[in-house]
Amino acid sequence: MTGPDAPPGPTVIVRVVARLLLAPSVVVAVALIVKGYTAVGDGFAAGMVVGLAVALNAVALGARRAEAALPVLRHAPYAAVGGALLALASGFFPVALGEPVFSHRPGPDEKVVSVGKAELMTAVSFDVGIFLLVVGVVTVLVHQLAEPDQEPQA
Amino acid sequence: MQGWASCATAAVGFVVCLVAWQRGGGTVSLPWVPSLDLRLSFAFDGLAALYSLLATGVGVLVFAYGTRYLRQHLVEDDRPLAERRRFWPWMALFAAAMVGLATATDLVLVFVFFDLTAVCSYFLIGFDRERRAARTAALTALLVTIVPAVALLAGAVLLYSTYGTFSIPELVATVEPGTTTTVAGLLIAVAALAKSAQVPLHFWLPRAMEAPTPVSAYLHSAAMVAAGVLVLGRVHPLLARSEVVLTVLLVVGLTSVAVGGVLALGRDELKQVLAYSTISQYGYVVTLYGMVGAAAAGAAAFYVVVHAVAKSALFLSAGAVTTATGEDRLSRLGGLGRRMPVLAAATGVAAATLAALPLTGGFFSDELFFAAAKEHGPVLTVASVLAAALTFAYIGRYWIRLFLGPLATAPAALSPVLLVPVVVLALVAVAAGVVPSPITTLAEGAGAVSHAAPVTLSPAYHLDLRATNVMALAAWALGGLLLAAAGLRDRASRLVATAGDRLGPRRAYTASVIGLRRVSERLHDWETRDLRSSIAAVLVPAGALAAAAFAATPVARAFTVGPIAGADWLVLPLLVLVGVATLVAARTRERLGIVLALAAVGFGLAAVYALRAAPDVALVAVLVETMLTLVFLAALGRLPGTEPRREHGRRRGQRWRDPLIATVSGLGAFVVIWGYLSEPREAPSVAAEQIRLAPAAHGQDVVTVIVADFRGLDTLGEITVLLIAAIGVATLLGRGRLW
Repeated sequence: MTGPDAPPGPTVIVRVVARLLLAPSVVVAVALIVKGYTAVGDGFAAGMVVGLAVALNAVALGARRAEAALPVLRHAPYAAVGGALLALASGFFPVALGEPVFSHRPGPDEKVVSVGKAELMTAVSFDVGIFLLVVGVVTVLVHQLAEPDQEPQA
Repeated sequence: MQGWASCATAAVGFVVCLVAWQRGGGTVSLPWVPSLDLRLSFAFDGLAALYSLLATGVGVLVFAYGTRYLRQHLVEDDRPLAERRRFWPWMALFAAAMVGLATATDLVLVFVFFDLTAVCSYFLIGFDRERRAARTAALTALLVTIVPAVALLAGAVLLYSTYGTFSIPELVATVEPGTTTTVAGLLIAVAALAKSAQVPLHFWLPRAMEAPTPVSAYLHSAAMVAAGVLVLGRVHPLLARSEVVLTVLLVVGLTSVAVGGVLALGRDELKQVLAYSTISQYGYVVTLYGMVGAAAAGAAAFYVVVHAVAKSALFLSAGAVTTATGEDRLSRLGGLGRRMPVLAAATGVAAATLAALPLTGGFFSDELFFAAAKEHGPVLTVASVLAAALTFAYIGRYWIRLFLGPLATAPAALSPVLLVPVVVLALVAVAAGVVPSPITTLAEGAGAVSHAAPVTLSPAYHLDLRATNVMALAAWALGGLLLAAAGLRDRASRLVATAGDRLGPRRAYTASVIGLRRVSERLHDWETRDLRSSIAAVLVPAGALAAAAFAATPVARAFTVGPIAGADWLVLPLLVLVGVATLVAARTRERLGIVLALAAVGFGLAAVYALRAAPDVALVAVLVETMLTLVFLAALGRLPGTEPRREHGRRRGQRWRDPLIATVSGLGAFVVIWGYLSEPREAPSVAAEQIRLAPAAHGQDVVTVIVADFRGLDTLGEITVLLIAAIGVATLLGRGRLW
């Protein structure tokens, strides 16, 4: 990618594409989750899509600059832990009601309220938990692994 | 504080056992692993009563002694008293494990407690862990007793496979003589003999003297070493159905008596003399188990009790002597009798008990031993007299060298806590010699379990020239001669010791440990030498094993070429593309080329998934592939140069190594997949069920429903792993801060 004579850092094309890809990838991720329970895709895939966008930004701009440009990334640890807690709650709330774990509501024969294609049920909130966790973990990993050499070309 | 707490616990245990014994015992059986027919079966019968009373009773005295001893031991070594925390819990667990082992009547449960005692002994022998000798001694004890213990498990499984039960009482009722019984009996006997430190697996015991004295005293009398003969006594009705096993027991027992006794004659260190004495004394018990019969079974139980009392007294006395004088060798000690008359008298009683003098319990145990031996012919009669003579000689030498003659090292004042337990044990030994009936009753109960029939013992003094009395007199006379002929005795003992060092099993043990470590290091070095070796270490066995599995199970029409139709015409070119990309990745020299070729492989396969009606897998494959390529590119940007450095100095043979590894593993995988695709099973019923139920769970995408609903708990576990991985990275790189 970078020969010995080329200037350090990725080309301007990569940087621009990375920037531009961010918004569409979030849209795709949301779409994956929303229709996840009725069509292809789930929380993990959605999380990967956003994670990819974050990683691409880190590669293109350098992790620190990407984080400066997207301050929201700071909340990644909360997303990871919150996702885990949401998934845990979605799976284990039936225990409080004396049912086996992962007895999702609404139950098999009950009616599901849908907003467009999105079904409002605990299985979907479990999926959202997975999504948050994957995004959070990928972002934290990118942050941590980029730490050792701080901004080579800054 | 912890010491006295352990002591009190042991005392309570002793009282409970005593009450249970008086009440006639009882049995408990709870299901443990029903699918494997395992039960938590405990029985408080005669044998259990004997050994649990020993473990708790001797435990009380040894623990009381230990409270004082340990404090002094730690102070002398400049170690914090807090290290007691590494001692007392193990001691208490040791006692509990012995009681568990004594009462367990399920072979697998026996195995568990058997190993538990070994684990406790490991930590106790290695208590002085900053000393290398203590560490190696602990490891030796662990290996020599735990590796043969696997034989016990193997024997149990063998019996289970034939008779369908692990329960010892049920096995005793059903087992028939035969090859299975012999083999299983031998396996169990090996484990028990190693535990009881019988030749040739005896060498761990003298080394284990590195342990603090209370540990030695306990280990030798009521725990660990006693566990071996306890198991022999427990399964004896099974062993008695095979002549071979009985002969092995006889031979091993007599050899141990001889080897232990002769070596004890020449040792200089106090605890070493006692250690070899223990080998010899348990040889007596094993010999008795080798003779079948009510008399032998009862005598073995009686012997164990008397020996435990005497031996723990001797160990505690040796520890007291060392504490008072700072010396632990006979050659530097002597004449202590005048300065420590009480200790000398108590030790004398214990020594007399081993030497089987009248008015001690030892006299009766030898009387019963002689009586049992006499029933089994002249060879055993003579052997038993010689054994008793040997014991008389070495323990006589020990006591005389220690307490008579000129004073060698002046002793300091001794704490009563170190003295009282020895005196109490000596009193017990004398009481057993005057009123043997409590121990007789105990031994009759235990013997009845080992013999699987009622046993009557009648030890008593007879002032006439009956055979047992003549044998005892002969033993004392011979022992006295041996005691007098010091030069001959020492030379013989030294000769045997040298021969043992040269050719003995300890050498084989050391060689095998060193050899194993060398093989392991060689293998490890080879595996971790470079990335290729690490990969080969996974791929080659996987490929070879898969190929072997297919070669071993020939199936008709296993490998067929099916028709090509529909979407297959799209899959084929994709696969060709994957193949070409693979070759490119293998041949190209430039890093970027390799990464892009690998990406092509991944995307090509993702497309194949999509065409094979697995869109979810395809989606994830595309995403993961993209992420991987991105990571690769990011990493490449930081590497110097564009090509991997050529490896210098590769040997000629290695040129063909990588292609060979690739071929073997690739063929293995190919054969597996071809075999699977040739005979596609019906969709397994679980999958069919899940597909059927997906709409009821309000989902059309079966994969998502499985991930989020049917197998939701698995998913939760997996994402938790992700979070833990992130925390791990943060701990390593970010000092524990996630951001």
